[in-house]
Amino acid sequence: MKKPDFEKIKNTNFKKLAHDFVYGKPHGERRLGELYIPGTGLYKHREWRGIKDTMYAFNNIWLYNYGMLVKDLVVLGGGPKGLVQFLKGTMRYRWMGQTYLTVMHWVDRNLEGMRGEALRGSAWHFRGIINACLVQITQMFNRDISLGGDPKLWEKTMGHDETLWGGVFYPFRDQMTNIPLQMIPYFVTCHCNNHTVLNYIDAAQALGLPGDPCPMCQAEAGIFLQDDVPDFFKAFVTTNEACDGSVATSVIQDWMINKPLFAMPQPMQFDNEEVLENCAKEIEGAWKFTEEKLGVKFNWDELVKNLESQNELQRFEWEKWDVAANTNSYPINGVAQALYRIFQGQYGDLPIWHEVDAKVRKIMDKCVEEKINTFPMTRHRVIAWSCAPLYYSAWCTWAYNCWGLNTIINMDSLMFDMEIRTDSYENCLMDMARYHEWAPMRRMAVGGLQHIFELWDNMEKFNCDMVMMYDQLKCKGMQGVHGLFEDEFRARNINAIWMPHALPDKRDVSRAEIRDIVNDYMFTVMGEEPLDPSLLEFDDANSW
Amino acid sequence: MKACKILKKTVGALAAVYAGLFAVYYFDLDGKLLYYVVEPFMIKRFDNMKRRDPLSVPYDQIDKEYM
Repeated sequence: MKKPDFEKIKNTNFKKLAHDFVYGKPHGERRLGELYIPGTGLYKHREWRGIKDTMYAFNNIWLYNYGMLVKDLVVLGGGPKGLVQFLKGTMRYRWMGQTYLTVMHWVDRNLEGMRGEALRGSAWHFRGIINACLVQITQMFNRDISLGGDPKLWEKTMGHDETLWGGVFYPFRDQMTNIPLQMIPYFVTCHCNNHTVLNYIDAAQALGLPGDPCPMCQAEAGIFLQDDVPDFFKAFVTTNEACDGSVATSVIQDWMINKPLFAMPQPMQFDNEEVLENCAKEIEGAWKFTEEKLGVKFNWDELVKNLESQNELQRFEWEKWDVAANTNSYPINGVAQALYRIFQGQYGDLPIWHEVDAKVRKIMDKCVEEKINTFPMTRHRVIAWSCAPLYYSAWCTWAYNCWGLNTIINMDSLMFDMEIRTDSYENCLMDMARYHEWAPMRRMAVGGLQHIFELWDNMEKFNCDMVMMYDQLKCKGMQGVHGLFEDEFRARNINAIWMPHALPDKRDVSRAEIRDIVNDYMFTVMGEEPLDPSLLEFDDANSW
Repeated sequence: MKACKILKKTVGALAAVYAGLFAVYYFDLDGKLLYYVVEPFMIKRFDNMKRRDPLSVPYDQIDKEYM
């Protein structure tokens, strides 16, 4: 038996030990990188954050969210039958069975190192996202004919591309359901468990499709090629995303969906008013298609009700931005901000967004009133621009914990920056068209240089001193403006880190490579030392 | 007296369950179970699943009205 090391015991500062137990270790002493089991991303043990925050993380995040998962499945699924459908779907679809069971680990990764109100505010955002996912999952499985779903529900369901704003269907929400096709089988999987999506990318390339277009488009096509698309909708409204790869995906979707399909193209150069009018006509075309295929009627009052509800979300988002821009008391970390906002803005109104916003408002008000510095180790206020690596959205928490890089805001949050007028049909339609034009990967990615360069105004508005410039290696649009950004960064003397990635595919640029690039920049250009050296290098190659 | 005993046992049992759950949380036992047991099982299942060949769907336009 090993003898106790009396010398070590004698030299232990028990007062400090007790203090750390009660309040948690201070930032520089945490050594979060040592918590990982090499290769896996699993924790030897989860972080001890002091009694209060550890118990909050255990009771109010881990236990609460597991409990809410079960509650949501029962309530949203419509009782025991919904649970049966959920189990069937879990065993049938790879994107479900392999992916979403790991959801609490996803939340963990995104909350690493958070304390106090930042932990609380960010965690509520994930509660919103998880509920919104379960809304879609239960809706899909309850309607999925191939799983024995309800044909009556199927008759009144419209599927649509995930980059088509869900608000297009607001006028019919009292009579039908609209469900984005790829948001759950593709988009969220990459964040939650990025192993799954690789199967779909490989399936597309195995067919002979080229490997260099956007892997998002490849993955969306691969879901069809792997026969992993649930049959939950009677008809489909598609839209192009912002690139040629997307057009190819639409061809495959049109072929394999084999159902009535309405194509609602997206204008790329959309500042022209004539283009706006054309986009409005496309929306009206989608409404006509919905009425004819699903046997529903346009309901103006329903449209106004949903838009006003969405406008309320927008107004609170502006309050959040105001706090983020002008104080050190914003209690939401970069990844929670980005994912919640893009999900909310793209999917459209849901009751959970309002519940979460009410909780976050209380937390944020407290932070502002008490002038709480929510990210006290902030060295640089970062704005993240362009499209983010889906397999490493948690880089924000890593960058803060390791280097004090606090991501204040990101491009995806800023796209849906408008209220929609409801005072007349014409105004409403034009605003809806504008909102639709500002969809993800369009306004500030390929929507023209004046929109791509909105970065400079936002950098000033949010008081940021550094740019994390995402470099999606397979996005031809953004690759085309790489040099222009380089010139501007030099001319404006801005510290910018280029973060290469391949959207959902971690094999092209691994998370470790991304960290190396940030580390190199911080050492060599900024001449700074890490706050937590244990996070400089660690192996998470096979983690979720 | 009997009620007191039952109450004590119930509280004790609940405390044990709570402590057990905390151990699962703290030592990431849920993550380890999912990573080492559940996910490999699911991967095997999905890899071996018989699937319809989507390429067999005829490449036709079925709804010309909205072309």
